[in-house]
Amino acid sequence: MSNEQQQRLFYELKPGIDLPGDSPGKIPSNIEVGENTVIDSSACFNNYFSTLPVGLRAGSNITLWRTSLAAEENALIEIGDYTYISNASLVCSERITIGSRVLIAGGVTIADSDFHPIAPAARLADTIALSPVGNRQHRLSVSTKPVVIEDDVWIGYNATILKGVRVGTGAIVAPGALLIKDVPPGTEVAGNPARIV
Amino acid sequence: MRKNFVQTVKKAKDGRGYIEYDWHAGGIPSNIVLGENVYIDSSYSFEPFHSERETGFYLGDASGLYSASTLMVGANGTVKVGSYTILNGTVVVCNDDVTIGNHCMLAWGSVVTDTWAGFQSAPIEKRREVLRFAATDARRRLLQVDTPRPVVLEDNVWVGFDAVILPGVTLGRGCVVGSKTIVSEDVPPYAIMVGNPSRLVRYLDADDTEEARKKAFQEYLQH
Repeated sequence: MSNEQQQRLFYELKPGIDLPGDSPGKIPSNIEVGENTVIDSSACFNNYFSTLPVGLRAGSNITLWRTSLAAEENALIEIGDYTYISNASLVCSERITIGSRVLIAGGVTIADSDFHPIAPAARLADTIALSPVGNRQHRLSVSTKPVVIEDDVWIGYNATILKGVRVGTGAIVAPGALLIKDVPPGTEVAGNPARIV
Repeated sequence: MRKNFVQTVKKAKDGRGYIEYDWHAGGIPSNIVLGENVYIDSSYSFEPFHSERETGFYLGDASGLYSASTLMVGANGTVKVGSYTILNGTVVVCNDDVTIGNHCMLAWGSVVTDTWAGFQSAPIEKRREVLRFAATDARRRLLQVDTPRPVVLEDNVWVGFDAVILPGVTLGRGCVVGSKTIVSEDVPPYAIMVGNPSRLVRYLDADDTEEARKKAFQEYLQH
């Protein structure tokens, strides 16, 4: 490995490129990216299955480090300028929108669906569809609600943001908080479920 | 598109099972009973498995251990998992009995344990004794201070990610435990339990009848 590769922490993110010396290396082509947006590894796209013309719309000067961009077939993830995401999981079935200058700390999960239906009979059917002998194609659809993180938000370690939540401009989400309701602009929330502090 | 896989576990002469293309060389211990059509990501799940019972782990038909779920089982532990159950990055800590029913889903980071370290009520000297023993033990085991209390997850239970199910708890049939919920008391059937400290939000309709189950088998199996 050359000295240059050893010292390289980030690759510039461009649609459809191959990252040299990286595994699996391939960046999907159905993404739109601004200038000077970087990613540490193509492994960020390991669970990216979006088949939309654009599944990821990222602005300029964004940093994505060890972040999982998990997108289902019809999912769109949008990220604004100067946003910095480290070691977070974005699990998107429909749409997750993150504003500009948002700072997201390690261990954060943002999901716009509950992954499984909640009614007991539907859930039972889902375990069969997902089992080794099941048929995943015919799974029941799961309700989704888009998540919106507005500009200048700061999200602390291990916080969780669940479906349908809108986090207002300038809000602070304390470490470990679990959000199930909207957060008004400029407030700080903490706890499980999260409350304004 | 992701696919569903059935796996073959080959029995070796030493009685241990070996999974094809497993990155971990440890193999599956011999005192384990696997049902038909199961899926196990890797034998790494069994790395902290020390059960000396005749059968220390049962995995029912078409169930799976995904995302390196971990089975931390002591010498006297037995873990039973039913059919069509998904353990996706779950940690099971067992020194006595942990029973998980059929059609359960346990998400990543969730913990099911029948053992506390029991340090809350023990004097400091007890903690020091445990640490002194660990320092002299080749396997660095922590001595058990508290008596384990069996945990039961009935059928069709859904445990969200990073939830913790504590010793002595029974989760009733069809209940839902939200993500990051800490459960220290029994949850009634079909209840939704969320938050920390946890609270019961509401009850679901008990629509998972035997008929619904039969219908689901007709519709969602590969034919």
